[in-house]
Amino acid sequence: MAYPYVSDKEVRILSTYFGDPKQRHLDTYVERGGYKALEKALGMGADDVVNIVKDSGLRGRGGAGFPTGLKWSFMPKDSSRPHYLLCNADESEPGTFKDRELIRWDPHQLIEGCLIGAHAIRAQHVYIYCRGEFFETTQVLARALEDAYAKGYAGENILGTGHTIDVTVHAGAGAYICGEETGLMNSLEGKRGEPRVKPPFPAAVGAFGMPSTINNVETLCAIPHIVTNGGEWYKQYGTEKSPGTKLFCVSGHVNKPGNYELPLGFPLQELIDDVCGGVRDGNALKAVIPGGSSVPIINAEEVSRCTLDYEGCVEVGTMLGCASVIVMDETADIVKQVRRMVDFYAHESCGQCTPCREGSAWTAKIMRRIENGEGTEEDLDMLMEVTQKMVGTTICVLSDSVAAPVQSSIEKFRDEYLALIRRGERVGAA
Amino acid sequence: MSDVPFKNLGWAGNTGEFDLSEDEVRGDDFVGDRPAHGGHASGSATMPYMLAEKNPEATLFEGEYQERFEKILTRYPDKQAALLPTLSLAQELRGYVSPESMDRVAELLELSPAYVRGVTTFYTMYNKRPVGRHLVQVCTNISCNLCGADEVLDAFLKYTDTELGETSEDGGFTIIEAECLAGCGFPTCVQINSRYFENVTPTEVPKIIEHLKSEGDS
Repeated sequence: MAYPYVSDKEVRILSTYFGDPKQRHLDTYVERGGYKALEKALGMGADDVVNIVKDSGLRGRGGAGFPTGLKWSFMPKDSSRPHYLLCNADESEPGTFKDRELIRWDPHQLIEGCLIGAHAIRAQHVYIYCRGEFFETTQVLARALEDAYAKGYAGENILGTGHTIDVTVHAGAGAYICGEETGLMNSLEGKRGEPRVKPPFPAAVGAFGMPSTINNVETLCAIPHIVTNGGEWYKQYGTEKSPGTKLFCVSGHVNKPGNYELPLGFPLQELIDDVCGGVRDGNALKAVIPGGSSVPIINAEEVSRCTLDYEGCVEVGTMLGCASVIVMDETADIVKQVRRMVDFYAHESCGQCTPCREGSAWTAKIMRRIENGEGTEEDLDMLMEVTQKMVGTTICVLSDSVAAPVQSSIEKFRDEYLALIRRGERVGAA
Repeated sequence: MSDVPFKNLGWAGNTGEFDLSEDEVRGDDFVGDRPAHGGHASGSATMPYMLAEKNPEATLFEGEYQERFEKILTRYPDKQAALLPTLSLAQELRGYVSPESMDRVAELLELSPAYVRGVTTFYTMYNKRPVGRHLVQVCTNISCNLCGADEVLDAFLKYTDTELGETSEDGGFTIIEAECLAGCGFPTCVQINSRYFENVTPTEVPKIIEHLKSEGDS
């Protein structure tokens, strides 16, 4: 199957059936071994399922990389109150396009993961919060879910085991901040998607005031495979601290953009040169954002040293985030692209915290001034000062996400800023 | 689908090395058809669409829409949680969410009108004023931008003869910029009503517009 592009370097576990529309049908999914993991998990105690996931070392794929099994173990053991599992399918980090693909090619894989996750945390209801823009994706998922209900894989008395787990697909309405876990909970409850102050943490007080756990689509999609094959099997891929495979969303100036499932720890340079067919038109590489727009930008030299696991990215001063690799060649206008990202954050700031609401808007204004050739060198200092005050001073990390591209680009591509400033000064003098 | 007038018909399927038909990729048996029945919690019957034919005077709610509204209520522990889906339903029917629609939704869910307004205005997908039959949202965020999204946006504005954010004279098109649509590997990504168009280039824009006009009710 020629799903956009494939590479023989890939280890396809979650993305095995990308490009195969038959996989959406329940019959095909079951024929290919689907829902076996659910059957196995429901025959086990909840804590045993959590232990398998703990053994696997699986880390959350939404960006933070928190160990999934550990997160699940925070949930209360008694079920006197309702527990909720929330699946975060509000994919909207610029550069990320894996969850939409996971859902629309293999919806049952996610549903199975959700059901197993719910069992593990003693939840009887799962809400899959899909991004509002995903009309077709949501429709594919909801239809698959109807089939799962009809065949007894979801709902009451699943597969005759006595377990009841309901799954609801919930569509958002266009707000990046609803991808933040507590923002998502507020949005699900019919409120503005404003992140909540923690503590209390979701495992104590989450959706509808009840103990809740929230996991990314990709995390939950890995669960059936881990339950089937065991934690040791999963750990054979990836690195010691970042086990398993990860979908890398490569976009921008490469010959073969797309989703590639690779073991964590894969070298970034090899991903670009080999897996993605190199930089387009034989151009030189200028910069890469390895984890979606919220992480620091790195230059070509840092790219050559960077391995794609949670630790490897930190070593070169950036983060893996959700592994959304945005590649920029020598023709890319760094100042324009950073300004575009800042515009995005200014638009998406929920407005609760002053440093973020004011900081993102003013950063965007200063960036635009520089881009238009009306900036001064003092503006660069001001940008650094403003963004420094946006780090760690707000309820959620959207504010920090503004600082990352601005600070790193000024540090590493100061020449480009200065060129725009100098050009403006010349025009002004003439 | 046969007789495709241009390279991209709204799915990541038929460019370059792709060899799947639209039916295979989009799976016609999975989308577009919204039965009013369905299991307790799953909800395909209540998933909103953006319809080309908008009826700003429609009653909130009656008939099939009333059934869908009632189904939405069963899926949450309280009425307030039904607010977003209910607003989406109102928009699907009327094309936008007017202050009057907000008040009606507030009444249905036993919330205060001010509260509903506060929530509605928080979310970008609720159109606060009427839009054209085709709401064209061009992603101009980083990945698409690197690959020429600005030119695609300009082409849409040029060939529909509209200003950004305004509706064309014949009411056919409203063109707006969108934030990342999660189609970064297939730039430029454009959402037109409920559909995604991917790998869009400026030269294809006139063909897409003609196609939409000929389709009428997409």
